[in-house]
Amino acid sequence: MASRDVVTYETPLTKLIRVLSVVFLALYLVWTLLPFFIMFISSFKDLLAAFKLPAVGDWSDIGVFFDFTPTLKHYRSLFEDNAFGTYTMNSLIAAGGSAVISVIFGSLAAYSLSRVNFRGKSDLFFWIISTRMAPVVAVMVPLYSIFRSLDLVGTLPGLILAYTTFNLPFAIWILKGFFDNVPYAIEEAQMVDGATRFQAFRSILPLVAPGIGAFIVLCILFAWNDFLFAAIIGSGGAKTLPVATRELVQPQNIQWGAIMAAGVITTLPMMALGLVIRKYLVTGLTMGAVKE
Amino acid sequence: MASVNIRNVWKYYGDMPAVKNLNITCPDGSFVSILGPSGCGKSSTMRMIAGLEHISAGDIHFDDLRINDLAPKDRDVAMVFENYALYPHKSVYENIANPLRLRGATDATIRERVNGAAKLLEIAHLLERRPHELSGGQKQRVAIGRAIVREPKLFLFDEPIAHLDAKLRAHMRGEIKHLQRTLGTTMIYVTHDQLEALSMADYIAVMHDGELQQWGTPSEIFNNPVNAWVAGFVGEPAMNFLTCDIVAAGSDVSLRHANFDLPLLSSQITQLNGSSKGGAARMGVRPDALSISMEKPEDRAIRGQIFVNELLGGDMLVDVSLDDCRIRVKTTPDFAGKPGETCYVTVNRSKWHVFDAKDGHAYF
Repeated sequence: MASRDVVTYETPLTKLIRVLSVVFLALYLVWTLLPFFIMFISSFKDLLAAFKLPAVGDWSDIGVFFDFTPTLKHYRSLFEDNAFGTYTMNSLIAAGGSAVISVIFGSLAAYSLSRVNFRGKSDLFFWIISTRMAPVVAVMVPLYSIFRSLDLVGTLPGLILAYTTFNLPFAIWILKGFFDNVPYAIEEAQMVDGATRFQAFRSILPLVAPGIGAFIVLCILFAWNDFLFAAIIGSGGAKTLPVATRELVQPQNIQWGAIMAAGVITTLPMMALGLVIRKYLVTGLTMGAVKE
Repeated sequence: MASVNIRNVWKYYGDMPAVKNLNITCPDGSFVSILGPSGCGKSSTMRMIAGLEHISAGDIHFDDLRINDLAPKDRDVAMVFENYALYPHKSVYENIANPLRLRGATDATIRERVNGAAKLLEIAHLLERRPHELSGGQKQRVAIGRAIVREPKLFLFDEPIAHLDAKLRAHMRGEIKHLQRTLGTTMIYVTHDQLEALSMADYIAVMHDGELQQWGTPSEIFNNPVNAWVAGFVGEPAMNFLTCDIVAAGSDVSLRHANFDLPLLSSQITQLNGSSKGGAARMGVRPDALSISMEKPEDRAIRGQIFVNELLGGDMLVDVSLDDCRIRVKTTPDFAGKPGETCYVTVNRSKWHVFDAKDGHAYF
């Protein structure tokens, strides 16, 4: 294990620093969690209750905030009046599809870049990652016209392709580092044991699993939270949750309750994913494999 | 089991030759050690035999089968890597079972073979553990277990005990030798440790700078090195080298040095084959072919000063300063000389060697 006991000795200064850091962390927690809390609780209030707020500085009236009858009507309206079931599905397919495609091609490319020496390798590697250096907005117009001429605008495959374009370089970048850390001798041992080259590659995938896991999370997060691609490339047939939420803001009627509920629906799956995969991410599998 | 024939094999990395025109024949069932310092091409040779590197030129045959173009999996060899290369996410059992699984053996066969190998290597109690829970010696046994579980044609061991501590290394030397004798499988064992090669192998191939220097049994390598490089590399403590002149006077030939003038034995004079008489040469003598005393024992003893004494338990090494050089003498621990005192060194002339001053080849 890389972590070890940190030896510290108490002085008045360290005591002060500790108290200050606790205060800072408490404030930081409130700052981070409060928006989520308000979003969550407001999604169960009807419009009148949602806008019943205590006056600024009036802490005695804080109870007003919790004084409401819970209602599911906003959620019902999302799924009955709007097609949020479809939008959720679109988001899932676009995010999951691009993650799967990126991880397959990304791990193959990263493995090659990690293991094989060829002329222009470092140039190629730089070129791959340089596609991430331009802001998405800068390429949006040409990308749109390419996608339109291929009839991909407003389709899920189009959206998946768009996300993959931006996730794949990222996948190669992350996964190459993980493959570099796996000793080549493990594959050589596999091949001498009787594996083909491809079997040897597959056999080390469990060793880069933390990398693949981390990448999938980041990739899904990027696609799930994306607004720009979804609004432009996906507009029409492949509407995702952020775009659908944005459309709840109409000129004459901002549906606050529904927006809050849509926020909850958008946020919860990602939180769940984080919790599920957290344990997996921190499991270091390569330790003790090879004499260092 | 198979014999291994390496014929005119070259290995290039870019323009750099790592192995130069190598010719080795390993008899079926023999224990062959490839010995040399790091960068001598020994590991490249082993990796070409395993199929992990392409053969730049030449052929390698297992018996009559040319294996140049076979993938590692089709060569039927088993290899133990220097860093063990265990699969970290698999248990010891699965590590050892891996070659059998890849070849589609049944579960019953796998269980029987793995348990058999584990018993032989005394690791049966470790089968459920993961590699990171094992000590260095245990990992090394697992790596050997993975190699022997399959009964391959050929074992390739690439410095398998280099990372173990000295005591365990000495123990494992005996174990590996015994294992090879028991299984009777041809083994090629790469090492930079001359003691490992001398103590374990039936034949040693000494390599230096990509070239085979000498092929022979351990005693041939030790007692009749073909050149000064082999003589200096093999043997611990290392051989003493002194630059001398060969001086012929009538039918006698002697080696002359600033500190001594010693005649060659008559059989050695014929081995000098005439042409070299009268030139410079390098005299080589192992520390245990020298004896040391504080009184002058005979006319031919070399006079010097004791520089330092090193007691090595059962032996003592004495460094003796001559006028412009230093030689090392192995003696018994009761030797009483102190640093700075004058002493006399006698050469056992039946055990000395003379090498050509230029190319280093041995006259005897």
